[in-house]
Amino acid sequence: MLNKTIAWIDQRFPLTSFVKHELTEYPTPRNLSYWWNFGFLAGFVLVLQIATGIFLAMHYKADINLAFDSIQHIMREVNYGWLLRYLHSTGASAFFVVIYVHMARTLYYGSYRAPRELLWWTGQMLLLLLMASAFMGYLLPWGQMSYWGAQVITNLFRATPFIGDQVVIWLRGDFAVGDATLTRFFALHYLFPFLILGAVVIHLVALHTVKSSNPSGINLAAKDNIPFHPYFTAKDFFGLGVYLIVFCVFVFFLPDTFIEPANNIPANPMQTPPHIVPEWYFLPFYAILRAIPDMFGGVVAMALSILIFAVMPFIDRSNIPGGARYRPVYRIMFYAFIADVLVLGYVGAQPPTGFAVPLGQVATFIYFAMFLLLPFISKKEEQWLRARGLPPALQELFEQRSPRQKWNNGEGGK
Amino acid sequence: MKAPWKAMGLLLLSVVTIPAWATEIRLEKIRVSADLSALERGAETVVTMCLGCHGLKYMKYRDLGKLGIAQDKVDALRAGQALDAPLLSQMPADVALQSFGIVPPDLSLIAKARAGGASYVYSFLLGFHVNAQGIPDNRVFPGTKMPDILGVSSADDAQRAELQGRALDAASFLAWVADPRAEERRNMGKYVIAYLVVLTVLLYLVKRRVWARLK
Repeated sequence: MLNKTIAWIDQRFPLTSFVKHELTEYPTPRNLSYWWNFGFLAGFVLVLQIATGIFLAMHYKADINLAFDSIQHIMREVNYGWLLRYLHSTGASAFFVVIYVHMARTLYYGSYRAPRELLWWTGQMLLLLLMASAFMGYLLPWGQMSYWGAQVITNLFRATPFIGDQVVIWLRGDFAVGDATLTRFFALHYLFPFLILGAVVIHLVALHTVKSSNPSGINLAAKDNIPFHPYFTAKDFFGLGVYLIVFCVFVFFLPDTFIEPANNIPANPMQTPPHIVPEWYFLPFYAILRAIPDMFGGVVAMALSILIFAVMPFIDRSNIPGGARYRPVYRIMFYAFIADVLVLGYVGAQPPTGFAVPLGQVATFIYFAMFLLLPFISKKEEQWLRARGLPPALQELFEQRSPRQKWNNGEGGK
Repeated sequence: MKAPWKAMGLLLLSVVTIPAWATEIRLEKIRVSADLSALERGAETVVTMCLGCHGLKYMKYRDLGKLGIAQDKVDALRAGQALDAPLLSQMPADVALQSFGIVPPDLSLIAKARAGGASYVYSFLLGFHVNAQGIPDNRVFPGTKMPDILGVSSADDAQRAELQGRALDAASFLAWVADPRAEERRNMGKYVIAYLVVLTVLLYLVKRRVWARLK
């Protein structure tokens, strides 16, 4: 019966061949470490956010007079409303943790290099969509931080040349953040996850065209590829279990970790909180924004700090395979960059006074200096490593030539 | 037209403007009490003393029964109010505005809405003193409009010890009001984590077995 049904479908829709091609025969490098788990985890978090979000939307009221109360209604009266809300609010932070690890892995192993530029760029588009969704979602509880955060961030668009004022009013739907802003943010916060879902499909199509990168940094021979299912489904599900344990510790025991105390006070346009801080995942970029004394410059620097990742495939000129693993200088740069981002995150959470100001400026300078120096450093590093003589294992990999050249000769990908 | 935009430009830099509340001294860290009799005493303190000016608008009298307070005690606290009536402030907002210059904040979420949570509430209640100029003030929130409701500034050492107990009970009750599902959540959390640990161990074993097929 089942076989008949599948045969019936297969005549009309490529079900079996699709599953074969994308899952049971999809070749995956067998040497992927657990760092390659995070893409799958991001997909899981997205689904959980959408699922909890839909149920929250059934009880939430997008009206400045009702929004805050409706959250308390969810927390106190809706059956397991507290669970839905804490899964969703913790899930937002978890999403960024997972995505940042996913990005850090890409940077460490040089997975952005040819032929995976488009894969990297679609990932970047996903990050931007995620940031927009998170920002709009944060307004919905209509607490003090929601309100003032939205006020400050929408105000940044004033830096748009010539039409800044109009752009801000257009975004808010009013002269200040108000009911019009709340309703449109709610509508868009409901829309964006589905845009993300679409972008994920594009990301996966790109992935399945160029296939996963792997710690060795070259395209492995066919015998070193194994089917995604059951090997990586089994591995990913184990990783999911570990992730869920950590996630649920926060949901059930520390759910207020990621909720600012001030967001438990209803939004009050007449009273500015003493210290406006964005959510932790925006702090490094917020620190870069504030490091530039000029507003326009600050906004440009902040936008650039995210967009600049797009040039990684071009500015990393090294042909040494395997990312930071075989590249001592790049490895130092990688860890220095992570440390620098953490410093920026710390600075972003501080009031802009005293020591935090020069610290933020130095860290911002280092942030961009890394990108500017990488073309020279990566080239020099390759020359230095080759002059010094590559270790035999690496020499062997290197003789299989750079992935970029292989790809350009039409040999790559399989 | 331009001035408000400039003001927001300043905001952009997140400058410290008018502090809505200040925490100039360190808060005394407390562990909230989960003991029913403490919560009952806290409820009584809050209902009889705080509700004069503040509300607990997300609470109904019926909810006190859910906490475990006996029906006759709830009846005494509600003093003729309906069981499903919210615990609103006895002082109308306009009267409060006239006498204090502000509307006293609703206390439903106060134990979450201040950095330090219940410790803030506790330290604030005990923070009243008469300052060097002979003016009553609060160490945790200098310039507060709220009077020294417990009489901390005039208490001697023996009375102070008793007031600490009352403040702890009140803070514990307000912590429950801010998060009445906390106990349910933690209980469920234990089972969820236990389940996930077992599941994850099994998933690990599955992974090992599947990968063992590879040479």
